[in-house]
Amino acid sequence: MSFSDGHTFSGESLSHLAHLIDNKDIGIWEYNPDTKQLKWSAGFYSVLGYTPDEIECSYNYFFEHLLYYQDKQTFVKTTYSPRLGGPRTAHIRLLTKNNGYHWFESTTHRRDTAEGMVLYGILVNINAIKIAQVKTAESELQALEIGRIAKIGIWEIDSRSMDLKFSSEVYDIFELNNHIKLSVPEAIEFFMPQYRPIVEEAVNQALTLCKPYDIEVEFRTAKNNIIWVKCKAVPVLDEYGRCITIRGTFQDIDNVKRRGLRLQSSINLLDDKNKRLQNFAYIVSHNLRSHAGNLKFMVDLYQETKLAEDRTEIFQHIKTISESLSSTMGYLDDIVKMQAEISKGTKLVEFQKIFDNVESALHTNIVSADAEIHTNFSQAPFINYVPAYLESILQNFLTNALKYKHPDRKPVINIITYKNGNEVYMTFEDNGLGIDLERHGEQLFGMYKTFHQNADSKGIGLFMTRNQIEALGGNISVESTVNIGTKFTVKLV
Amino acid sequence: MSSEIKYVTAGIVDDDKIFTYGFKKFTGIKGLFDEILDFSNGLEAINYLRDPRNSRHLPDVLFVDINMPVMDGWEFNDAFGEIKSRLPKPITIYNISSSVDLRDITRAKKNPLVADYLLKPLSEAYLTEIFHTLQHPGAQLQYS
Repeated sequence: MSFSDGHTFSGESLSHLAHLIDNKDIGIWEYNPDTKQLKWSAGFYSVLGYTPDEIECSYNYFFEHLLYYQDKQTFVKTTYSPRLGGPRTAHIRLLTKNNGYHWFESTTHRRDTAEGMVLYGILVNINAIKIAQVKTAESELQALEIGRIAKIGIWEIDSRSMDLKFSSEVYDIFELNNHIKLSVPEAIEFFMPQYRPIVEEAVNQALTLCKPYDIEVEFRTAKNNIIWVKCKAVPVLDEYGRCITIRGTFQDIDNVKRRGLRLQSSINLLDDKNKRLQNFAYIVSHNLRSHAGNLKFMVDLYQETKLAEDRTEIFQHIKTISESLSSTMGYLDDIVKMQAEISKGTKLVEFQKIFDNVESALHTNIVSADAEIHTNFSQAPFINYVPAYLESILQNFLTNALKYKHPDRKPVINIITYKNGNEVYMTFEDNGLGIDLERHGEQLFGMYKTFHQNADSKGIGLFMTRNQIEALGGNISVESTVNIGTKFTVKLV
Repeated sequence: MSSEIKYVTAGIVDDDKIFTYGFKKFTGIKGLFDEILDFSNGLEAINYLRDPRNSRHLPDVLFVDINMPVMDGWEFNDAFGEIKSRLPKPITIYNISSSVDLRDITRAKKNPLVADYLLKPLSEAYLTEIFHTLQHPGAQLQYS
């Protein structure tokens, strides 16, 4: 064994060095390809866990029994290296005495001596490092997979430089393929305008007050897709309690969020429907009770009274009650029928045609009120709707507008349809008496609520109208000023 | 005082013409109340009470329906609360309705201005009791 690359060691130093190396889990070998002479250091045996008499010191034994078969080629290449310029080092697996194959780093050198070329090299046990590397790679891969599958990424803001870093999943959610570096304000620009102040505030509070946050906001990706994201962050503090870094997750929660929102809106709709049904039950009971009560009252009076003229009058009232009872039953029938109509389904209907039908049905009323009706269906001439509903809605609005016209002026009515995206709207505006919404707003669409002292106020129209509109997934809103007029805005679909 | 028999005027505030007719007829036959005033909605009643010309001819008790156009029973209760202290004599208010809606019942019963909530049809016995307590003010339960 010789150590002479520019420095010379005394014999004592050399044995010292050899001793040091032998105790350092490092094995040294030397091989002469011509004479096939092989030397192994004591450390060579000990790194593998053997004693010198347990294994045969030969190239053949090493190659056939110690070296893992898949690593043979890699190793051989390093032995060529001094001649052919291949790699000097290789990671190979060798069979240890007690622990199966372990990873070693093998480095090969070449030296020319008087006896010809000699190869020598070092073996270092790198098993622990190698295993750790493999594990890290595995967990990195796992983290990557988890992030990819859960659509969740990690980001970080350095509080001093305000440098923003994204994991590749964050870029995926941003739909930024080129992974360009964004500043904090640039990243905030990706959020929908109404949410930008919320995000800004959250980041600022995390930086200055060390407040963590967890927000769900709408976001526009680089490819112009609007999605819901969950942005969660915790500040990382230094010893003085100052925020040095904000670290957080960024997750695409679009599916879950949209499902949640849809669920919430159908819960609200059901809730409303439930309330209206209960109201309906109370109102029906109120009306039936009041007719029944009056009937009993009159029958009792009839028996108590002896005067013929009183009896005639009482009987007249009994007749009126009986008529009211029938018409109440008629309204109930209408409501049930309305429910049946929806099962017939929707079809493409033309606003103009439906309007013409309603106009001719109410012709006498329109003429006697001297009403002026303007329509404009050009922006949305057609709609997929239950024809009977559309007719009933228009008829109710028109009847109301004529019934509650202002006494001092001629009724002017404007009916317009228009589109907003896929939604179809209708506005119905009159210049009639108007309704005091402060007082009656809540009851406006209730049943049997009348706000004007008209003899023919029945208080059923708007209740029906609203039910029809909502049954098809629309909604209705109203603006009104007393003595100016009323405007209904209906989202039909 | 308790031996004195008072002249009792009642008022009915209801848009239901048949009920009003029946109420007047029935109380007439039964000899309940000495006089009955009728108003077809809350606003008519409030305007009457407010008018100083009527101050010598106010009712002792008012039966106020809940569901009425123009000014309903709830609005009447509020309006009455505002003018009550300026009235020359106490007036007992009863809300009457056919509504069995619990929200209506508790709303009326919770109002200190309202003596009670009576469900239509009104019971003869209860009306008689109201009349007699008003007739004998010394023995009556003062609601107002």
